[in-house]
Amino acid sequence: MAGKNAVAKPPKQKLNKAYIKRYWQLYALLLLPMVYLFVFKYVPMEYVIIAFKKYSIVERNVFKLPWAKNHGMEYFIKAFSNRDFINALRNTIVLNLLDLVIGFPIPIIFALILNELRFKMFKKTVQTIAYMPHFLSWVIIYGLTLQLFTPTDGLVNMAIKAMGGDPIPFLNDAKHWVGTYIGLGVWQSFGWNSIIYLAAIAGISPELYEAASVDGAGRFQKMWHITLPGIKPTIVVLLIMALGNIIGSGFDRPFALQNNLVMKNAEVIATYVYKAGIKGLQFSLTTAIGLFQSVINVFFLLGANWLSRKMGERGIW
Amino acid sequence: MKKKVLSVLLASAMVLSLAACGSQTATAPAADNTAASSDTAAAPAADTAAAETEATASELTDGKFADTRHITVEVYDRGNDGGSDPTNNIYTEYIKNGMLEKHNVEVEFVSVPRWTEVDEINNLLAGGTAPDICVTYSYPTIKTYADMGGVLDLRPLIDGYKADLPHLWDWLGETNLYWDSDPVDGTTWAVEAKLANMNRVNTFIRKDWLDKLGLKEPTTKEEFHDVLVAFKDNASELLGADASKMIPYSVSYDVGWRAATLIESFIDPKISDKEYYVNGFDDRKLTQNGTKEAVKLLNQWYNEGLMWNDFAIYGSGDTTEDDMMKAGYVGAFSHNWDYPFRNGDDSIQANLKRLVGEDAKYIAIDPFEDKNGGHNKFLAGPIDRKVFFPSTNDEPLASMLYLDFISDPETIQYLQLGDEGVTCNKLDDGGYEIIAATGDAIQNSGMNIDYTITCNGLHLTSQDLTDKTLAHTYAGIDPEDVLNADKVAKTDTRVGINVKAGDIEAEGGVGDTLSAKRDQVYDTAMSASTADFDSVWDEGIADYLGAGGQAIIDERTAAWEKVYSGDSVE
Repeated sequence: MAGKNAVAKPPKQKLNKAYIKRYWQLYALLLLPMVYLFVFKYVPMEYVIIAFKKYSIVERNVFKLPWAKNHGMEYFIKAFSNRDFINALRNTIVLNLLDLVIGFPIPIIFALILNELRFKMFKKTVQTIAYMPHFLSWVIIYGLTLQLFTPTDGLVNMAIKAMGGDPIPFLNDAKHWVGTYIGLGVWQSFGWNSIIYLAAIAGISPELYEAASVDGAGRFQKMWHITLPGIKPTIVVLLIMALGNIIGSGFDRPFALQNNLVMKNAEVIATYVYKAGIKGLQFSLTTAIGLFQSVINVFFLLGANWLSRKMGERGIW
Repeated sequence: MKKKVLSVLLASAMVLSLAACGSQTATAPAADNTAASSDTAAAPAADTAAAETEATASELTDGKFADTRHITVEVYDRGNDGGSDPTNNIYTEYIKNGMLEKHNVEVEFVSVPRWTEVDEINNLLAGGTAPDICVTYSYPTIKTYADMGGVLDLRPLIDGYKADLPHLWDWLGETNLYWDSDPVDGTTWAVEAKLANMNRVNTFIRKDWLDKLGLKEPTTKEEFHDVLVAFKDNASELLGADASKMIPYSVSYDVGWRAATLIESFIDPKISDKEYYVNGFDDRKLTQNGTKEAVKLLNQWYNEGLMWNDFAIYGSGDTTEDDMMKAGYVGAFSHNWDYPFRNGDDSIQANLKRLVGEDAKYIAIDPFEDKNGGHNKFLAGPIDRKVFFPSTNDEPLASMLYLDFISDPETIQYLQLGDEGVTCNKLDDGGYEIIAATGDAIQNSGMNIDYTITCNGLHLTSQDLTDKTLAHTYAGIDPEDVLNADKVAKTDTRVGINVKAGDIEAEGGVGDTLSAKRDQVYDTAMSASTADFDSVWDEGIADYLGAGGQAIIDERTAAWEKVYSGDSVE
């Protein structure tokens, strides 16, 4: 942002020696991240071509590989006629939508509530405890989950049984598993995700609140008319980013949590690509799937951005 | 002034880091190039290996290389509590010294986690960093890489260097060396280790519980079921306050293996070679006739509360189930024929004795009768792990010499018995008994099978010695229990045949997917509600067949009919 403003200032024809002399350090600083992006993000992209070729681990030069059948589209056709992939695609979308619908508002609500707390010590403590789970890896969370939620030996189910209820199959029934998956995801990330909203709230001018108080606004009215509109741009940006990832997904969360009994709901694209591609050695097929996934994600990102600008928000461009 | 100095400093730091970055990116492709060239160098080396054999004499003098060679060898890491470092202990020292002395070859061990070995070896192969000598239980993995040109053809090496490999030829012979040979052109992607002891799966039961309840050892499924029910009904007598933790019968992850003897008891003992082969891609017998009935029975027991509810949630390698056996909560279970005896001081049997009481122990029983009243058990062929060389191996001769060294009866005997007084004691009759060792002398795997990669099972320098030692190979275990388990595992067995019907193209690349699906079918069907069992099973099988299972069955049928006239190999 700052860089952009700096560029805009001098008139165009004056973009000359004086300007370069003055700002070259900034550009030099920018060079390293650019080189990083180029080397690690753009150069590897050429290997996308594997999706259209018949891959072999022995031929290291991907350009020498023979083209796949059907004008190079063999693996895309294969993917879409593969029930496992369709199933993984469906699961990815369903789980991500649920994550969005349930997981997206919670940090906002949490930030709003936290903001209303006036006892600093308590607020800080709650905040710290809430974002601690963010630092646990999913493997550890799964370990905790096993201790708590297994049908016979899990603490929660033992408590339910002791009170005369029937154990709940949190992990071994496909439908219940979805709830567990979403719940753990929310638990792990809501505290961390609320930080950015708390920062945005801190940026709202206190004068607005004072003026509202003078006009006789109550807490809820202030929350509704000042805090929420104040963090609306932040919400929109985060929503766009979340939509841009709607058929992407992390790998470790589904992989750590899935088991044989729930696979029909638990296999997502990331884990399917790992199993079919890396373990099953179908590199071309899974590159094709990865490419498809990225293209769809870009469309969602652009679409959400377009929509938000239509609705008068800033968007991310 | 200060500002200027700072910015100059920053800028120079920038340039320096850029330069460092530049040199890194410059070396990366260079390294890639050398890797590529060594690959291409290795491939023709394999092709010309046959031609090279005339040069053998000049390469080895008295079995030794003139200059020291270096090879890497895969070894399983079992991650045992308190085990020794699998890449550095007295046994690896023995091998390293032996190879250096005998052949002037330096050996380096690369550890691969035992319970995820197929994944791990896949990753290593895909990355081009697999050890020179690889070992796996999964032939389809080898085949997939071979099809991509990632594996060396061993046939020219086996035949060409025959004179230099006396022990390998003596021990494995044509049967195991040529087991995987293509019937048409002879290409051999792997040699099969020999299974000196072909025992597979046994069912174990708590002897002290039987005695306490005045029950006799069950010999039929019905009797077995009654015993399980008796265990459950008398849980408070058997376990007291821990009664709720009782698991009458446990079959956990990889149900197809664990419940093998139960499944086999439902298969026709006189099944034709053809039918067995056609449905034989999956060694867990998912598609054999009879398997469904077996799993249905398990499902029934599961729903009666006789089995472990949570089994499918814990993956392979998880110790929860073992821990429950050790703590004494498990009445009966099916597993590898010697499972409760393994691991010396940390064996299930030893823990049971310590935690529960002197008389607490598991004994092997044979409760699953087949339709003829026998106790039908299908054995695989005399084959075990598959040893192969990835195409990144540029020391094929040194690697073959390693296989020869590791097949030497002297080597095997040392690795299996260890040093007298440390890991074994001489018995009065001339045999040896294994004792619990400590520190670097701990054998991470029973009889060190992780090092004797061409041999699984006790194989000493003479048959007489082997016989006298067998019952004493499990430290701290009553020899009678071992002999009994061995006897049960060897009752009514049928040895697998080697069908030479050539490559089945449909098998390439689907092994992992199908195994995962198979395990899902077993797990979901076993834990389904009784009413849902049929639909869950049929749906799972349809999915399995649709994902490539049916194509394999069809191609196997066609391949069989092309090579054999009848339903039997003879």
